Amino acid sequence: MKLGSYEVKLEKKLKVAGWEAAAISILAILIALALVSFIFLQAKVNPLIGYKEIFSFAFTNKFGLPLTINRSIFILLCTCAFIVPMKAGLWNIGMAGQLYAGALGAFAVAFAVGAKESPNLTLSSGIVIPLMMVGAMLGGALIGAIPGFLKGSFNTNEIVVTMMLNSITFWLVAYMIKDGGPFMGGGGEGEGYKLPESIFAPQIFGGPFTVLIALGLAAFLYFTFTRSKIGYQIKTFGLSPTAARYAGISSFKIPLLVFIIGGLIAGLAGYHNFAAVPGVYKITQNYGNYGDLSFYGIICGLISQQNPLAAIPIALLFGGLTNGGRYVQGKLKLGFGIDYALLGVLMITLVFFQFFYRYKIVWKKIDKEV
Amino acid sequence: MTNQERKRVDPLPMKETKHGDTVLEARGITKRYPGVVANDHIDFEIKAGEIHAILGENGAGKTTLMKILFGLVQPDEGEIFVFGEKVNFKTPLDAIHLGIGMVHQDRKLIPAHSVLENIILGHPRAGNILDLKTTAEEITGLCDKYGFNLDLKAKVWQLSEGEKQVVEILKALYRGAKILILDEPTSALAPPEIQKLLASIKIMTGDDLALVPFITHKLPIVLTVSNRVTVLRRGKVTGRLQTKDATENSLAMEMVGREVVFRLERVEVDRGKPILQVENLSAINDKGFQALKDISFSVHEGEIFGIAGVSGNGQQVLAEVLAGLRKVLRGKVLLEGIDVTHSSSLDKWLKGMGYIPSERVNVGSISDYSLVDNVLMNYYFDDEFSRWGILDYKKIRKLTEEIISEYGVAVPGPDTAAKSLSGGNLQKVILARVFTRKPRLIIANLPTQGLDVGATEFVQNKLLEAKKEGAGILLISEDLDEVLSLSDRVAPIYEGEFMGIIPVDQASREDIGAMMAGLKHRVAGI
Repeated sequence: MKLGSYEVKLEKKLKVAGWEAAAISILAILIALALVSFIFLQAKVNPLIGYKEIFSFAFTNKFGLPLTINRSIFILLCTCAFIVPMKAGLWNIGMAGQLYAGALGAFAVAFAVGAKESPNLTLSSGIVIPLMMVGAMLGGALIGAIPGFLKGSFNTNEIVVTMMLNSITFWLVAYMIKDGGPFMGGGGEGEGYKLPESIFAPQIFGGPFTVLIALGLAAFLYFTFTRSKIGYQIKTFGLSPTAARYAGISSFKIPLLVFIIGGLIAGLAGYHNFAAVPGVYKITQNYGNYGDLSFYGIICGLISQQNPLAAIPIALLFGGLTNGGRYVQGKLKLGFGIDYALLGVLMITLVFFQFFYRYKIVWKKIDKEV
Repeated sequence: MTNQERKRVDPLPMKETKHGDTVLEARGITKRYPGVVANDHIDFEIKAGEIHAILGENGAGKTTLMKILFGLVQPDEGEIFVFGEKVNFKTPLDAIHLGIGMVHQDRKLIPAHSVLENIILGHPRAGNILDLKTTAEEITGLCDKYGFNLDLKAKVWQLSEGEKQVVEILKALYRGAKILILDEPTSALAPPEIQKLLASIKIMTGDDLALVPFITHKLPIVLTVSNRVTVLRRGKVTGRLQTKDATENSLAMEMVGREVVFRLERVEVDRGKPILQVENLSAINDKGFQALKDISFSVHEGEIFGIAGVSGNGQQVLAEVLAGLRKVLRGKVLLEGIDVTHSSSLDKWLKGMGYIPSERVNVGSISDYSLVDNVLMNYYFDDEFSRWGILDYKKIRKLTEEIISEYGVAVPGPDTAAKSLSGGNLQKVILARVFTRKPRLIIANLPTQGLDVGATEFVQNKLLEAKKEGAGILLISEDLDEVLSLSDRVAPIYEGEFMGIIPVDQASREDIGAMMAGLKHRVAGI
């Protein structure tokens, strides 16, 4: 392309340094914020004040910060649930269904030990809480195993299968908690039964202990994908299924495995959201909103280039913005959906700026032709 | 076509040329890619009625030069003159309008269409209504003139590789090409087809067409057909020769920069016990057709068993079945006496099989991986390289470094990504990775395909070395010379069947060539 006496060309980049990727992401975030400023201006609000409110509520306010952290843990777990199959080149669009199943699994364990009937359990919480987590992981893994199995045996499209399972499990939860379902709560409001206080998830630094699980999991996955044999097999399959077959890597086991692990992690996200976040401790009436929220895991996974450690700050940012955006909407009397607009624009700019991971723009002065 | 019609067709009517006129001239062509100068001030010219071969190893810059001449890539520096006028190609269309035609190595034809339809596809005169009758007559005229024998109504999928090539050539000629660029014109052809093509090429030059074949390694062909040769090495022109002054050795020297041995010393090794036994093996290909029909043979210790055939006759399926990548339909496979008919690929690797796949980039390596990770592909499953599921990267890095130095892989280091390696260097890594495992059975599928002289020589010597060490080697090749010079026994394959199994000292080149084309051998020999 020619611009005046300059020629502008795109050149492919061979490698992107870590700092470069970080700088590109930060630039993308700044541009997204600048773009959303127009929405604030249109509502006759000074954008600087708008952003100050969003960020101060999300990251410094004593009511806002815990919400941000809980939300971020949830998004980080969903991101990990997306990353594991993505490393094998497979798209997990089913974190929603898997986390519903995880929630059902956890509450099924509690139900089995009689938590719905009476607050005084015969088993100690030290046994029930781990069992609930196992239940959540099993529930998620079971739903995850289906697309994995179908992919491995019949090469079925995993995107379609996971999407359909989202719908199936959504209605399964509705069946369980609404209209006289076995997990229905006493209030008759179409929500699940409330856990007895004894089996609330333990807290740490004033927040749920699941923060340790999420951070530990991110670190563990990072290690798995850089050093371990199974991580190597998954990555190899993801980069080239034909080369993986040549190297003796099973094209049945890998899809099954990554979806089981992905589902298991999403199941934990379900446990976190409904059994560990303070003040909830039940499958809420609006559980579908959290299913929708799980899709941010896809965006975080893509932006972080499937690096679980890089996903931590991104999950925190998204958690904070969903939270602060919703708050500022009420506080400054903005139109409905400012939080969605903000996240939407942010996603688009981040995805657009990924372009600069692969290309650089070169300016060259054109010599005047004689 | 009358002159007037031609004028309407071609935006820039070509000048009449006579024999010996310079039709295309390139001056100081330079093209840089990140980290490499692909073309470094290349000067080159071609005259009407001449065959000017461009010779060079992989990575010498042939492909880049070819793309520049055809307008697919724009040079950073340099000028191109066509029929004496300076040109600036932006797209291949510009080059086509000026009478440059290109025959790609990977055919760009539509298999479901007829020959005629393929030829007129995209032709400026083929508007909305096709005048098939006139065009057919014109194309038949071209065929007669240049000695092509082709059924215009045949569908392209029914054609052999050689015939498809002819279609590509006709397509270019029918568009009025005066300068024809041929990319590795003989690489996929059976020996009889090569002879036919060469004869037609000779006739074409008599008509003052200029031909520029780009060739990597078939030196005898260069010597028989070309008038002049330009040799490239590492992006620079290292030699400009009249073919009559050149010999196979002198060309190879120019290309590689050192002396190349053409006669491989075949070591006689006592044939040991059978390592691979195949009994009545049948298998189907991806399309669901039976591609292997009741094949039986055995490969012994210290033996190279060669399978010669034109591509698509079942040898690929055979290699994949033996490597555990494809299901067996019927029959039996024994590896050192153990039944491995239905074993997985991993199981076979662990039992001493080593497979060198023909698709280096898509199967044999992972472009985005470093060399360390690529070497790991054949080692991650060994207990030696992992503990408690954690890979021992120190050990694998050391192995990679050893491979790089022992096999002379030209790379900056073990962390280099596979995608930045040339074909020859990549093949060295794949080969080294397999050989270092000391496999009992080596399945080498087209091990030298697309490699230059130096790398081919290297690979062939490594195969002979492995044979000396007692491995059984199944060599699959489309290059008859290679099969004959390396193998102890040869089995020509045609449509999924062996046409015979012949000890190489009883095999004549002509017989094997005929068997590759489907004629059963007179002498039954197993």
